[in-house]
Amino acid sequence: MSEFPIKLVDGQLWEIPASARAGMRVPARLFADRELLAAIEQDRSLEQLANVATLPGIVEAALAMPDIHQGYGFPVGGVAATEPPEGVVSPGGVGYDINCGVRLLALPIGVEDLGDRRKPLVHELSRQVPVGTGGRGSRQGIRGANLDRVLELGPRALLEDLGVGSEEDLDLTESGGCLEGAVPGSVSARAKERGNDQIGTLGSGNHFLELQRVDRVYDEAAANAYRLREGQVTILIHSGSRGLGHQVCTDFVKRMDSQLAHYRIELPDRQLSCAPVSSPDGQAYLAAMSAAANFAWANRAAIASRARGAVQAVLGARVARGTRQVYDVAHNVAKLERHRPGGDSEERELCVHRKGATRAFPPGHPELPEVYRAVGQPVFIPGSMGTASFVLAGRERSLEVSFGTTCHGAGRRLSRTAVRKQVEGGALRQRLEQQGIAVRALSSRGLAEEAPEAYKDVERVVEVVQAAGLAAKVVRLRPIGVIKG
Amino acid sequence: MFRWVDNTAELELEIEASTQQGVFAGALAALAELLATEPEVQLRAGHEREGRPSVTRRVSAEAEDRPALLAAWMEELVFLAETQGFEPLAVQALELGPRSAEATVTGRLGRPPPLVKAVTYHRLSFAPAGDGYRATVVLDV
Repeated sequence: MSEFPIKLVDGQLWEIPASARAGMRVPARLFADRELLAAIEQDRSLEQLANVATLPGIVEAALAMPDIHQGYGFPVGGVAATEPPEGVVSPGGVGYDINCGVRLLALPIGVEDLGDRRKPLVHELSRQVPVGTGGRGSRQGIRGANLDRVLELGPRALLEDLGVGSEEDLDLTESGGCLEGAVPGSVSARAKERGNDQIGTLGSGNHFLELQRVDRVYDEAAANAYRLREGQVTILIHSGSRGLGHQVCTDFVKRMDSQLAHYRIELPDRQLSCAPVSSPDGQAYLAAMSAAANFAWANRAAIASRARGAVQAVLGARVARGTRQVYDVAHNVAKLERHRPGGDSEERELCVHRKGATRAFPPGHPELPEVYRAVGQPVFIPGSMGTASFVLAGRERSLEVSFGTTCHGAGRRLSRTAVRKQVEGGALRQRLEQQGIAVRALSSRGLAEEAPEAYKDVERVVEVVQAAGLAAKVVRLRPIGVIKG
Repeated sequence: MFRWVDNTAELELEIEASTQQGVFAGALAALAELLATEPEVQLRAGHEREGRPSVTRRVSAEAEDRPALLAAWMEELVFLAETQGFEPLAVQALELGPRSAEATVTGRLGRPPPLVKAVTYHRLSFAPAGDGYRATVVLDV
């Protein structure tokens, strides 16, 4: 239970003052309503957020979204912007699953057209999109990918070398699916060995692929721009950089931990290990992290290609050809961006860490693809496998108060152990089937651990970010099939 | 002896043992639980429930201090599971130096689930407690 003094400062914005504990350089701020705050105070989330506020060079405040929950180092749902050259970059502020993110595909058919092909499609998706269990013999990644080119170019390497994806897919991906400054040589041989055969695999834990229908439209103009309509069938892909990204983070947490004394940095938690952005260690991390982020975008591109293959097998070539990518967003990444912290008149370059938080740039932002510039950046907020997910659009106030950021999901509420005591995998599968959700899962245990009961109410989380002006609701998606790692 | 401590999103492990070697063995036992091929996967892969031959791997780790060494030891086991499908079962002849751990580990080859992403440094500890030692490790899953 948190014992930090926290007060409501504006609508949905709460603040822990920098004086709350020694070492905090800035306040810690949280977007939430009273009910979410009560849940958030039950674990170590706010302690972890206060720890983030001690990072050298942090600007304005350590921020948390309403889906915040206890993580390691940073809380999940945390945002921190630091100012180079002295400001630090922290691998733990990105997390092990570098560029974990979400991609939404829209099929050119409505749920009524799917009819009795729903279950065969879910089965085919589970057959074509492997989870990626360990072992030399598993050989589940796509064949022929040149790993160094993927690390440097992201999904563009798959498009140019293997014909996977399209130019439109790249345009409709955050940062075009490629972070500049990626250096394949900065990624260790061990990381490359882990990731070598994993491009196009889903992973485990909370990663999933979901077949859905658009069940409500809130903003016709934005929905039209995203080419989404009520009843339409969609596929949501949630995955990241797999073992390669995990190893990059492991390598650099260790490396920076050993250099803390050299940089005269004292931290309340070793997992926050960091180095100045401008230092050799900071630059090496950004080069490797960017490469891992590119790998993750390629992974989701390969998964999307496999999903289109499943669509073709069950629904035919015409439907597969008409299956478009709506967008792809990262929610675990650090980026150098220009912002006006505290309403400054001049933009400053900051290193924005988003860990379990999504970029949400507003209408008119120059980094948005032309087709979405009038309505704002699409943001995808997965709920849990039995509840709704949302498509949001970034809003202007996100640039004023959250470094252009909004939430990333419902946020976990119960531990895996706790939820297994309440939910049995087989019974959950039956319950979901009764709700019209076809389920394929690697294991019953893994299914139970991701039960809807484990998560907060995604509708409440989304209401908070909308009321705070960070992002606005465009459409709601309901699951009709789930593939779980 | 190990136990899982309630943690909202990750897996938090607490290990107690009378010796430092025992802590390392306890960490392996905890990972053995997480990295075992799911019975459903084993059946789908056409493997027999039992009867997969025992194999051994030489595992070595290095780090600046004891807590980091324990994390490095566990990372090695996660790495072997992911890249070779090695499911650890037991540790033999663990040699523990001030900054190194080396052992032969017996196990089986299978299709371990890709559940454990990494061994974190969050609240990582390894210290004397009572007549023995206690360690805590948070795993990212």
